[in-house]
Amino acid sequence: MSAPTTVPDEQSVSGQLRHVEVISKKFAVVLTAATVVLLAIVGLVPREGEARFRLSGGSEALQIPSIAVPAMPLAWASVVICVVLAAVSWVLWRSGRRTPWYVGIVFAVVFLAGFLGWAGAGSSNDVPISNLIGSSILLAVPIIFGALGGTIGERAGVVNIAIEGQLLGSAFVAAVVGTMTQSPWAGLLAGMFAGALVALVLGVFTITYRVDQVIVGVVLNVLVLGLTSFIYSQVLVPQADLYNSTERFPKVSIPVLSEIPIIGSALFHQSVIVYLLYLTVPAIWFAMFRTRWGLRLRAVGEHPLAADTVGIKVKSVRYRALLVAGAIVGMGGAYYTLVSVSGFGKNMTAGAGFIALAAVIFGKWDPIKATLAGLLFGFSTALASAMSIVQAPVPSQFMLMLPYVVTLLAVAGLIGKSRAPAASGTAYVKE
Amino acid sequence: MNKTIKLTAVAAVAALALAACAEAPGDGGTASATTPVQTIKPVDGFKPCVVSDAGGFDDKSFNQLSFEGLQKAAAEFGVKAGEVQSKSDADFKPNLESLLTANCSLITSVGFALSAATVEAAKANPDIQYVLVDDAADNDRDGKVDAENIKPLIYDTAQAAFLAGYLSAGYSKAGKVGTYGGMPFPTVTIFMDGFKQGVEHYNKVKSADVQVIGFEGGDKGTFTGGFESNQKAREAADSIINQGVDVILPVGGPIYQAALDSIDDSGREIALIGVDADVFVTDPKTEKYILTSIEKKMDQSVYDAVTTAGKGQFSFDPYIGTLANGGVGLAPLHNFEGKVDATLVAEVDALKDQIISGEVKVTSYLAK
Repeated sequence: MSAPTTVPDEQSVSGQLRHVEVISKKFAVVLTAATVVLLAIVGLVPREGEARFRLSGGSEALQIPSIAVPAMPLAWASVVICVVLAAVSWVLWRSGRRTPWYVGIVFAVVFLAGFLGWAGAGSSNDVPISNLIGSSILLAVPIIFGALGGTIGERAGVVNIAIEGQLLGSAFVAAVVGTMTQSPWAGLLAGMFAGALVALVLGVFTITYRVDQVIVGVVLNVLVLGLTSFIYSQVLVPQADLYNSTERFPKVSIPVLSEIPIIGSALFHQSVIVYLLYLTVPAIWFAMFRTRWGLRLRAVGEHPLAADTVGIKVKSVRYRALLVAGAIVGMGGAYYTLVSVSGFGKNMTAGAGFIALAAVIFGKWDPIKATLAGLLFGFSTALASAMSIVQAPVPSQFMLMLPYVVTLLAVAGLIGKSRAPAASGTAYVKE
Repeated sequence: MNKTIKLTAVAAVAALALAACAEAPGDGGTASATTPVQTIKPVDGFKPCVVSDAGGFDDKSFNQLSFEGLQKAAAEFGVKAGEVQSKSDADFKPNLESLLTANCSLITSVGFALSAATVEAAKANPDIQYVLVDDAADNDRDGKVDAENIKPLIYDTAQAAFLAGYLSAGYSKAGKVGTYGGMPFPTVTIFMDGFKQGVEHYNKVKSADVQVIGFEGGDKGTFTGGFESNQKAREAADSIINQGVDVILPVGGPIYQAALDSIDDSGREIALIGVDADVFVTDPKTEKYILTSIEKKMDQSVYDAVTTAGKGQFSFDPYIGTLANGGVGLAPLHNFEGKVDATLVAEVDALKDQIISGEVKVTSYLAK
C-alpha cells in the first residue's frame, strides 16, 4: 500500500529508490470508516433534546456545572469535522506525507463528543465525562499489569498464555493473606509472590524442560482455576470472615494534581495500586530500553544463540524476566481483591488475562503501547455502561460486546506491521 | 524428550484432576448424616438427584437453594441424593449422563442454562422424571414443554419485584433508584422489569417522579456481562450510584457483593435489595445494607416437587411461583424496619393483596 510516486527518470532510479518512503493509507481508511459509522448512526437514528455532560468527578475544589448541549447540532457538527479530518488525511496520503498523530487525537475527541452527544440526547441522566475517565482506568488496571508482564515475558522469549492464571491466582492469594493479616500491604506482597510462583512453574516447564510454551500456559490457567475454585468452595465460603473479607486500600488524593478540573479526581484520587501502575509503566519502559538488563532481555528474546555466544546466560535471564513479570501481573491480580471488591469470587478475572494477551500484541511488545491498548479496552467497557445509563438506543447485548469488538478490530486492523520477538515461543537449547 | 512428554502429561493430568474435583456423582453426605429418623417410605427405586449449573452449590443463590430443598426432601425419605456440579456449559451433558448411571429416578437440573441439555436427556430417557428449575423447557417456543417427562419450576418474580420497586420508590429520598443485572437473560430482566413497574405504579398513585436508573424495559439496561463479582460489577454499580440513587438492586448471583464496596466508597447511605434468597440471612456481611430481598423460593418448590415424587404423586404440570402461592415474595425488612415509614409498609402489604386479586396487573414474560 504505498503512496503513488512519480515515475522516476532513468538516470536517478537508484537515487529515487533510496528515498521512497512507504506511507500507509490505513490511517485515512480508518478515519473514513469511523466517519461513515458516525454518519450512519446520526443520520439513520436521529434523536431529540439536549445532552448533558457532567464534567466534575466529585472531589475537586472547583466544581464545573453540567453543561447541556443541543444533541443533534453537536452530532452533525462532529460529523462535519470528522469528514474534514478524514479528507485531510487522504490529501496528505496523496501527496505522500504522513498524517500527524495529533490529527488522530483530535479526530477521536470530536468523534466521541458527537457520539456521546447523540447517545445522551434527551436523557434525564448526565453523561459523566469525569467518571468515564476514572472508570476506564479502574477497568484497565489489571489488564495493563497483565499486559506489562506478558510483554516482559515475550521480550525474553517466553510466551505467557498463563496471564489469566497469574491474575486469578494472585487475586486469590491476596484475598486470603490480606484477610488473615488484615493488611492490604501484606496481601499485595503475597499476590505478587503468587504471580511469581505461577511464573516459576511456567519457567520450570518451558525453560528447563522445554515443554511447548502455549500448552503449559493453557494447562496452568486450568490448574489455577480448578485450584482456586476448589479451595474457595471448601474453605473461603464457609469461613468468609476468616479468609475472604479483605481490608481494601483506601483512596488517596494527591495534592494539587487531584484538583485539576475534569481529570483530577479521575486520575489522582485513586488507591495505591493505581499509583503503582503509573510508576511501573515508565519504569519498565526505562528498564527494557535503557538498561543493561533490558538489552540482555531483548537479546535473549531475539537471538538467544548470539546472546549465549557473548556470554549472556540465556536461561537465567529468562527465569529472572519471568519472575519479575509474574510479580507485576500479581499486582494486577491483587487489585481485584484489595481495591475493586473486598473478597475473592470464583473465576472473578473472567478472561481479563486473555484481553491482556491481546494488549501485548496490539501494543507491539512495547510497554507504553500495551498500556494504551489496555486503556482502550477499559474505556470501551466504561463507555458501554455509560451509554446504558443515559439510555442510548443500542441493544444491551451489543454494549456488552463492544469492548471485545474494539479489541478485535484493534488487533486485526489497526496495528499495522507488528513483529514478535524472533525467539518468542521457542525454548533455547544450548549446543 | 521422553522426560518432557512425561512432565507435560503429569501437569495436564494434575490440572484436569483438580478441575474435576467435585464432579464425580457423589452421594450427598448431609442426607444420611442428619436424619436417623425415617418418616415416610418412598416409592420403590426412588432416588432424587441434582445437577448444578456453573455457579455450583455454594453460590448463595439458586443452585444452593435448589440443592437444599432437594437434600431436605431426600433426608425425610431417608434416601441418599445424588449430586453433581458443573464447572462450565460443557459439563451439562456428561453430568446428566453420569446421574443416569447412578440410578437416579428423578433428576433436578438447576438453571435455565441446562434447559437444552435437559430436554435432550429427557427425550432419550422417558422413564426418568426430570425437574428443571427456573426455565420453562420450551426451547422451540411453541408454548409447550418440549419433553413430556420434564416438570418446569418457574417463578413470576416480577410480582415480588413490583412490591420491592414500590417500597424503594417510597423509601428513596433522592427520588432516584437504580438496578443492574448480570446478563440480559429473561430470568434476570424479570426482576428489573417488575421493579421498574413498581416504581412507576408508585409514581402514578402518589403523583411522584421517582426515576429508575439502569433499566429501560425489554432487555435494555446496565449489565455487567457476567455473574462474577469483579471490577466490571464494581463499575456498573459505581456508574449507577454516581447518578445519585439511594436504593440499588443488583440482579445476578454474587454481583451484589461488588455493590457493597461501591456503597462503602461512595460515602453515602444507600440501601441494597437482595435477590433469590433473603440475602440478609445468607450473607451476614450485608446486614446493614439490605432494605429487603426479592425471594424466589426455589428450596420450597424443589422440596415440594421431590416430595410428591417420593410419594408417587408426581405430576409434570409446570409450577409457576407467584405471590398467591408463596413461590415468590418479599423478605422481612430486618434492620430497616425502623427506617421505613409504617404507612409505606402497610401500602406494600395492601398492594400484595391487590396483585394477588388481579386488581393491579404486573406484566412479565410469564404473565403478559
